[in-house]
Amino acid sequence: MTGRIKWAAAITGAGLATQLGAALHWTPATFIVSAAVGVPLVLIGSVLFLVAVWRNLKERGAA
Amino acid sequence: MLPIYMVVALGSGVTIVTLLLAGTNVLVAQRTGRLVLLVGLVGLPLLLSAGNLSYGVAESSQTRFCLSCHEMQRYGKSLFVDDKQALAAVHYQNRLVDRDVTCYACHKDYALFGDVKAKVNGLRHVWAHYVRGVPDKIALYQPYPNANCLHCHDDARRFLEKPPHRPVLDALQSGSLSCLGCHRVAHDMGKVDAHSFWQAQ
Repeated sequence: MTGRIKWAAAITGAGLATQLGAALHWTPATFIVSAAVGVPLVLIGSVLFLVAVWRNLKERGAA
Repeated sequence: MLPIYMVVALGSGVTIVTLLLAGTNVLVAQRTGRLVLLVGLVGLPLLLSAGNLSYGVAESSQTRFCLSCHEMQRYGKSLFVDDKQALAAVHYQNRLVDRDVTCYACHKDYALFGDVKAKVNGLRHVWAHYVRGVPDKIALYQPYPNANCLHCHDDARRFLEKPPHRPVLDALQSGSLSCLGCHRVAHDMGKVDAHSFWQAQ
């Protein structure tokens, strides 16, 4: 579980960092990068985190 | 740069996620820690992203955003020309539209998906700017729709009572007669090139 959560955190962090970079250098192009790369990375990270938790709960239930 | 509070919020988000990443092993072992991970890795980043995206979409409607591309700067100057017939200048100088969203106020459709369509067209503009190249002559994707004018003028007394409008109201409503058929000058680029600008005294 820890490994999966670390992956989720890394991807979420990358998404937020992308958005931070775009916010620091705000242009039409960086806005698109922020919306098309940064936000989806955060969404993917969140989904991976929730999947990791769900799998863990399922494994506990089975045990 | 976006406003400092947005930058600080995103910077804080990155720091928190990094700290949580470093402390995952410890946090996973405790019930409270798992709750902290849930809030810090899902709730907070989603909230920050939603806020950032929402702010960005609003910012992309601003006049300064449109004029940040050099191709549009001549059109920005056309807002200041000394021409009482040029629609863009008349609307801007008389404050008929909000000056902060001047381009957007006139160039977005007011139908259900008008905002979405405008943003998609904005993506096409960025694509043209960076990849495909900007055409020599910049033109609208479609003839300017009367609905965009009528959104504001439709029930305006000054519009309805103007004698030339009365016989053609139905044609204007149906779109069979374009507003630009009579109001021919939208952006007076000739006066931009001639540096003929109006200035408030």
